[in-house]
Amino acid sequence: MTARVGQKAPDFTAPAYFKGGFTSVKLSDYLGKWVMLCFYPGDFTFV
Amino acid sequence: MSAVAAQYEALQKLGVEVFSVSVDSHFVHKMWNDQELVKMVDGGVPFHMVSDQAGNVGRAYGVYDDQQGIEMRGRFIIDPDGVIQAMEVLTPPVGRKLAETVRQVQAYQLVRNSAGKEATPAGWEPGKPTLKPGPDLVGKVWEVWNPSMED
Repeated sequence: MTARVGQKAPDFTAPAYFKGGFTSVKLSDYLGKWVMLCFYPGDFTFV
Repeated sequence: MSAVAAQYEALQKLGVEVFSVSVDSHFVHKMWNDQELVKMVDGGVPFHMVSDQAGNVGRAYGVYDDQQGIEMRGRFIIDPDGVIQAMEVLTPPVGRKLAETVRQVQAYQLVRNSAGKEATPAGWEPGKPTLKPGPDLVGKVWEVWNPSMED
């Protein structure tokens, strides 16, 4: 499955860091809300 | 990511849930937040920092680079139905401009709230005129919009 505009966003479940704690994020839990997903090359990188 | 955090308030006002994703572990996310980002953003990163160590999420979104084992700067706007409305992918050396993401969210929200009756022309900003697509608009866009309105 590849992401394309106008198509359903691929769902995923993954570990996350959030405000001092560790948690799990499941994208489909956020249906009904607007979501922005931002990928980036790596922690401690510039730009 | 500190730039995203800085625009977070604007996104939050629009009801947008933000997630950052990289191949780093959630432990390293914590280190980065605690050691560096907290110095750039008051209170640290306010959104979920997702860990995608195997690159599976990045692969599904077409932003994972197998050669380098990293993820490109992909940004996706997903609507309440779970549909991707907009995407932008940059290679690592150039950073994003989040103000454009905020503008796109505002435009998509307007279109959605109008149930498809309105569209936004090039360079649209909140408060500027929208277009009402339909038979009456064909050949008459020039009456309601021109390129000088982009600025």
